[in-house]
Amino acid sequence: MEIEILQGIISLLIILGFSPLFAGLINKLKAVLTGRIGAPVWQPYYDLKRLFKKETINATVSSFVSRISPVINFVTVAVAATMLPIGFWKPLISFNGDIILFAYILGLARFIQILAAMDIGSSFEGMGAAREATFALFAEPIFFFTLGSVAFISGLSSIYDIYYSIQLNNISYIVFIVICSISAFLLAVTECSRMPVDDPNTHLELTMIHEVMILDNSGIDLFLYQYSGYIKLFIYAILEISFFYPFSAQSYLVGVMIFVIGSFILALTLATVETITSRFKMKNIPQYLLFATAIGILNLLIYTFTK
Amino acid sequence: MENVLSILFCLSLFYVSISSRVKGYVTVLQLQGLLLSVIIVIPFIYDFSIFGIILPVTLLVVKVFLIPKYIKKIILDLDIKRMIEPTIQQFTFLLLVIVSMVVIFVVSNILSQRTELNVIPFASGFSAIVIGIYIIMFRKKLIVHVAGFLILENGIFLFGTAVASELPMMIELGILLDVFVVVFLMGIALNNISSTLKGFDVTALGRLKD
Repeated sequence: MEIEILQGIISLLIILGFSPLFAGLINKLKAVLTGRIGAPVWQPYYDLKRLFKKETINATVSSFVSRISPVINFVTVAVAATMLPIGFWKPLISFNGDIILFAYILGLARFIQILAAMDIGSSFEGMGAAREATFALFAEPIFFFTLGSVAFISGLSSIYDIYYSIQLNNISYIVFIVICSISAFLLAVTECSRMPVDDPNTHLELTMIHEVMILDNSGIDLFLYQYSGYIKLFIYAILEISFFYPFSAQSYLVGVMIFVIGSFILALTLATVETITSRFKMKNIPQYLLFATAIGILNLLIYTFTK
Repeated sequence: MENVLSILFCLSLFYVSISSRVKGYVTVLQLQGLLLSVIIVIPFIYDFSIFGIILPVTLLVVKVFLIPKYIKKIILDLDIKRMIEPTIQQFTFLLLVIVSMVVIFVVSNILSQRTELNVIPFASGFSAIVIGIYIIMFRKKLIVHVAGFLILENGIFLFGTAVASELPMMIELGILLDVFVVVFLMGIALNNISSTLKGFDVTALGRLKD
């Protein structure tokens, strides 16, 4: 029992420690693919260090919501991170039905961020908040139709158990998992505001979704927002990679190796997608998200009716 | 294996319902032709015969090479604009497609309890028929109507493979010839329309008087 707790804590520390590295890796690969040298992979750590040292300034009109929002955001994302398995170790928090908690604790993070964005009283932040809320509305069914369909088929409701039940030995099941992972990839792109939905690099307010909400934050607040953004990206990466664990192998070393290789491949995929696509028009984003939902629905239908 | 290819077929249907370019339609037609020929060729892997291989090969040649190439040629020759000009929003269209697909899957599952049929290819084929009709209903361009008709035809084909495991080959070849001729005639018609009228909207045809 104690060993399991220790393993869970180590998993959490891995997520907290390596999430900026993952973001840095994506940026580096993206730079290489577009023919630039790019910032070093450690750049997110330097950014975080710089932000940590800076003074925090709040807008004069803002209320307590803006002050508590970064902390709540960080804590909720960190709690969500404790529910995910790394290697084959049991995560720190794992109980029946934690798939719902996982979805809605991330929902809470978003909710409080939207509140804080509107609290500042700038029209840009309000616009960003409206967009974030709209696209979150379309992104949530994707989560429930992908992970939910795996849960439905296995009859389990804890994230660890769901992933543990995946057996890659039946060809129709492999296709099912691959389609699930496509849909999860689209979800990750949306939730972490990556390229086809949102451009993480642009600083033109009219085109931003996520970045515009944190325009008026500085210092430690911005540090917490950025850090939770990195963790969130890593969380969705783990959700994606976990589909391809051979859980029957049961060796921690193999698990970690697959995890590292999987992260690298995923980073490469994200970087490639960001290189070859441009951002969608705002009005085309809902149909893109509905497309991902459609894949999830199709998946559920097909697996239900072939059994 | 047949199920897997049918799933890919369904995914191509989703793609076609959000694609807003004529080029996307042509690519999907090629992909569907390829999938169909692979689906037909699967039974012959175990039981090889020269006679049986004729249909998949013809299908491959006609659906993957001839028809798409011809459509591309028409697009280039007549200088058709690349956008498809839908009459309803793409989002609504996709929603409609999802709802119809769910209904079709549930209905085919109910049907499969009564009679012997392969649910996934059956439902995929059925959905392709319905979506083909939707494409013809909700798009303005004539060339997209041709693509919708071809998707409908692909659906009938898949439908056929699900209902009867062994198709009467002559009939299928006949249908294939029919389809090719239809597309060919449509090309000639488009040519004639373009020399008489400017543009290819079906709305323009409503104004014709004798």
